Amino acid sequence: MDKKVKVDASVIEQTRVDPVTFEVLRSIFEYAADRMSTVLQRASFSPILADMVDFSNAIYDSEAKLLSQAANCPIHLAAMKFSAEAIIARYPREQMQPGDVYVVNDPYQGGTHINDITFLMPIFFDGDILGFAVSRGHWMDLGGGAAGGQAFGGTHIAGEGLRLPPLKLYEQGQVREDLLAIIVNNTRTPHFVKGDLQAHVGCLKAAQQEMERAAEKYGAATLRAAMKQLQEYTERIVRKSIAEMPDGVYEAEDYADTDGHSDKPIPIKVKLIIKGSDITVDFEGTGPMVKGAINSPYANTASATLYSLQFFLAPYAPQNQGMFEPITIKLPDDCWLNAKWPAPTIGCTTLTSCKITSAIWQALAKACPEKVTGSTNAECNWFVSSVIAPDGSTDVFSDLPAGGWGGTPYADGMNVTEDPLGNCMNMPAETAELLFPIAYEAFELRTDSGGPGRHRGGLGAIFKVRYLADGELSMESARTFEGSPGVNGGQRSDVQRQIKLHTDGRREVIGGLDEAGNWKSPLLASVPFRYGETFMFESTGGGGWGNPLERNVEEVLDDVLDEYISAAAAKRHYGVVIDEQTMTVDQAATAKLREAMRAQASAPA
Amino acid sequence: MWRVGIDVGGTFTDLYAWQEGNNREVTAKVLTTKDDRSRGVMNALAEAGIEARDVAYLMHGTTTATNALITRDYPEAAMITTEGFRDTIEIGRQHRAQLYDPYQTKPKPIIKRRYRYSIDERMDVKGEVVRPLDPGRAREIAEKIKANGIQSVAIAFINAYVNPAHENAMRDIVLEVNPGIYCVTSADTRPVFREHGRFTTTAIRAATMPVMERYFSRLEASLKEAGFAGRLMILKSSGGITGVEAAIQHPEELIESGPAGGVAYAAYLNELRGDCPNIIHTDVGGTSFDVSIVENGKGLVTRDHEIEWEIPVIVPMLDIHSVGAGGGSIGWVDEGGSLRVGPQSAGSSPGPVCYGLGGTEPTITDANLLLGRIEPSLGGKMQLDRDAAEQAMERLAETFGLSAIETAEGMIRIGCENMAQAVKKVLVGRGRDPRDFVYAAFGGAGAMHACFVAESMNIPRIIVPAQAGVASAFGATAMDLRQDLEAFYFCAVGDADVEAINSLYAVLERDAVALLEADGVKAADVTVTRSAQMRYVGQGYEVETPIPGGKLTAADLPKIAETFHKCHEMEFGVSSDDFAPAIVSLSVTAVGRTARPPALTVDASGREPLKGTRQVWFDGAWHESNIYDGHALVADATVAGPCIVEFEHACAVLPPHARGKVDQYGNMLIDLV
Repeated sequence: MDKKVKVDASVIEQTRVDPVTFEVLRSIFEYAADRMSTVLQRASFSPILADMVDFSNAIYDSEAKLLSQAANCPIHLAAMKFSAEAIIARYPREQMQPGDVYVVNDPYQGGTHINDITFLMPIFFDGDILGFAVSRGHWMDLGGGAAGGQAFGGTHIAGEGLRLPPLKLYEQGQVREDLLAIIVNNTRTPHFVKGDLQAHVGCLKAAQQEMERAAEKYGAATLRAAMKQLQEYTERIVRKSIAEMPDGVYEAEDYADTDGHSDKPIPIKVKLIIKGSDITVDFEGTGPMVKGAINSPYANTASATLYSLQFFLAPYAPQNQGMFEPITIKLPDDCWLNAKWPAPTIGCTTLTSCKITSAIWQALAKACPEKVTGSTNAECNWFVSSVIAPDGSTDVFSDLPAGGWGGTPYADGMNVTEDPLGNCMNMPAETAELLFPIAYEAFELRTDSGGPGRHRGGLGAIFKVRYLADGELSMESARTFEGSPGVNGGQRSDVQRQIKLHTDGRREVIGGLDEAGNWKSPLLASVPFRYGETFMFESTGGGGWGNPLERNVEEVLDDVLDEYISAAAAKRHYGVVIDEQTMTVDQAATAKLREAMRAQASAPA
Repeated sequence: MWRVGIDVGGTFTDLYAWQEGNNREVTAKVLTTKDDRSRGVMNALAEAGIEARDVAYLMHGTTTATNALITRDYPEAAMITTEGFRDTIEIGRQHRAQLYDPYQTKPKPIIKRRYRYSIDERMDVKGEVVRPLDPGRAREIAEKIKANGIQSVAIAFINAYVNPAHENAMRDIVLEVNPGIYCVTSADTRPVFREHGRFTTTAIRAATMPVMERYFSRLEASLKEAGFAGRLMILKSSGGITGVEAAIQHPEELIESGPAGGVAYAAYLNELRGDCPNIIHTDVGGTSFDVSIVENGKGLVTRDHEIEWEIPVIVPMLDIHSVGAGGGSIGWVDEGGSLRVGPQSAGSSPGPVCYGLGGTEPTITDANLLLGRIEPSLGGKMQLDRDAAEQAMERLAETFGLSAIETAEGMIRIGCENMAQAVKKVLVGRGRDPRDFVYAAFGGAGAMHACFVAESMNIPRIIVPAQAGVASAFGATAMDLRQDLEAFYFCAVGDADVEAINSLYAVLERDAVALLEADGVKAADVTVTRSAQMRYVGQGYEVETPIPGGKLTAADLPKIAETFHKCHEMEFGVSSDDFAPAIVSLSVTAVGRTARPPALTVDASGREPLKGTRQVWFDGAWHESNIYDGHALVADATVAGPCIVEFEHACAVLPPHARGKVDQYGNMLIDLV
């Protein structure tokens, strides 16, 4: 009952639909979007959709304002709205027909990166457009210079794959075979195109069916009124939450380790201006467009900003246009977070978005330190690899080994969980081995990878896959100079690192810092792997929350027993001395060590 | 001799029994004894006046395994995995339950990390040894298990579903060092691919096996002491029963043991009446609403069930979906000013405001009381405090400028809509049209809301079963013995080797029949059906596809593909000849038919069914409504809404446009006109 608050009666009086019908329709809208995702996941053919769930589905009102969205990928949250707007700008509503389906993936016309492809279908009722069903999926491969479009060496969008402007793909239920043929011709995985397309269309139809059913029962006018009211409802929740935060200007920054061409970090500077029930997010001071493929178009930056705030403003509110209203985004014109043609953008959804989140959360921590958590590992760690099958054909597989989340005011962070930007699932080893000439050798927790804190950051993972064929791997990653930042005295986690294990057992760091302190770019572009070689990745954990010396001694011992941390780390970070013979805490030595560490921390520098 | 069904629920232990020969039937309801649930079972027998020595069969549904899992209350278990996969059961699929909640945590793993060991060994995807099991390390792990005093071990290796040799070798070493402990392997638990589901299910088996053995031995001992010499049978999540020995060996199959009885009852209604092969089984309790589907007389099963976030059980289970909507669900105003109902519940403590036990927030039960749908003395069981309920409702109503009575009806509408969404999730989410189904209302409060939930989905017919109040116990006596076995066979249908399929089915069928024979079924009384888990090549999810019996020939393969296309179309709304269908695994279900409860007719009660009238609120107005004694209504009796039909453990609410008719077995059919 903690969410219960006293509501001003005057607020309710503005409503047009009675409160009971409103609540009934609210749950119908939510259900309709959920059902889209059920259909897409079940009916799609490529593993990235069916197994990894890298997609989102939403319903918009007739003005293309978000009405409801299924809980899938936050980075798609606001970006799909720009796609819908771009389609409507090209194909005016009055020309649309029932059964039409439109497609777009152009990063510069409402898209983000080329692999996120968006389909839109108008929902008609009684001859009028009631709203739009929109489905966005990450398609495994749409061409470009490297498998999965991950051409991290490239400097031009043309190298990242087939760029579709808004197009009408289905005319009144009939697919346009000419357009389909172009798409099929421009991918390394043509066998997935028809099946995945069919699944997207099936999910759009499911939305139409649910909305029609509701309109038949309640009438289109009631539905339209309820849509508006639902958006206002969410806006109220978000505004109330902002109003509770202290007014002020809060600044922070984070950075991408590299764009693949620089050996210097590329910073993101953010300023949150909280005033009353509004927030302005100003990225002034963030640098110009960069050469490499991490540039973020406006739609992506806006989406990242909005979902990052959503975590601390209104995590349980229905997702719709109302969330966007109180938030203003300001971007310099020449800015790598406001990318323009022909900048390459493939890494924007995965690499750039999570650095935006981390910067915004660190700024929020200055406004309300008691609320905000340690940073997540702030990486998607998405890799794509081609493999040459024994019959000579090329296949493409992909995975995204996650890291940990930050410690929270209430608990340790989650281990190995997809970054806030998405909610994708990993690739099961046994599925991957059935489909591709590879062997998964490890996906397990990485001891000592969580940021120390009173509430420890969740752990990252050790990931290993062995090639049973020749292949080329591309991957985006970061957090290779420093780990995830902690808050309120919590500490940083360990760094991430990419490794090649040679067949003779030699260990070669191919991304990040090696033992000697040499650093290599973690943006891997078509790195060759030969039969028998192993790709190994060490992801990091989340940042800690609170001073590790305040962590309960028994919890530290439990962590050592479970090997979440080593006995050495217990001593070094937590001041807890454990007798490794008996696996018990040396209470006297611990008290003494903790006291000394506290004294040292408070001593003037 | 008696055939007895007993369902041990969270609050009550229910009993239904019938006597062979004279067809006498008896029901009982006693409180569940949480410290030792077997005592409640004995109490129920005593309450029903049945001597243990007169019981031929005792069919028992229990939530003991589920409770142990959810509270992690079982002896420490250990797990041994392939090196690199020690944390598969903890990492899960690396996604989160709540998209935007920054404070969420994940459930604790079934087995603690400190007791999870890994070992160098490897099978490839074809089942060929890449690296042999390291015998030195194996022995070292077995010794550690001994040193830690662990009594139960799960062994789960990558690709063991194709070749279990390493798992078996590991088990032999564990048992050699630790004779007599529980030790289970993943290939034995469920030989299918995808490590997360298989490993977790194996861990669940290892963790719950000691708990279930202890519980069942205690129960058997109590029964024997009281003179019981019959057979103790256990309800499984798949909707069948099994002998107690097999239940101990397969505790992961008991997760939904309780609700399974109700679903069996729904299927039995069709056996009885013959006109309702498709039933939506619903059960409204104090805190939750459970829904599942019976289609063509059979409960629909799933292999995707998760007991908690990312803790899957991959055995076939009735697809029972549960949401927080019940009599205790609380009406409240959310932060955006919207009227909400549940999922928070006042439960049985403090309970609804009208119970006078300290509840202050209006619940669905309070709303029903204000609307006149519940009789304020609960048939003399308890005096409800209507004034307190009204005051609480007024406080909520103020926010919206509505009256208390309007808010009460609004709460029911919203609560029923929440239930309807749950039904849709199960039905429409699996490609079924609700209008093809009859809505069956079980549980004490099921029939109070059934008309409204059904109406929301345009379902015209509702059935309130005669024994709705003790549904799971009744259903337990109407269940067949059942075994589900599965073997991995991954192949595009076009490339399939019919002989290999025939021999796999032969083995599965032989094993399944043997399991039933061990439970006393004659081979001649066994019906075996085959199915295959199938998908399009490259897809990540399977659809259960029926497979013909007998010896298959190459000519059957295209037919199997055709059936799969149809099943896929049904579940997901799409199918395509452009993609090759593939088989992922082969399954058999072997059923040993048991006796059914007698179809007793209700033809003369000798009592007046009409008890009087009362003002009941429907659609914004008071209606003078008849109140009936449900147990006095006989075959072919009709009632017209607005009216209330009261039963001992349940109550049906018929709005003005509903018409009810009692069938010859005492079930009430309600049509919305």
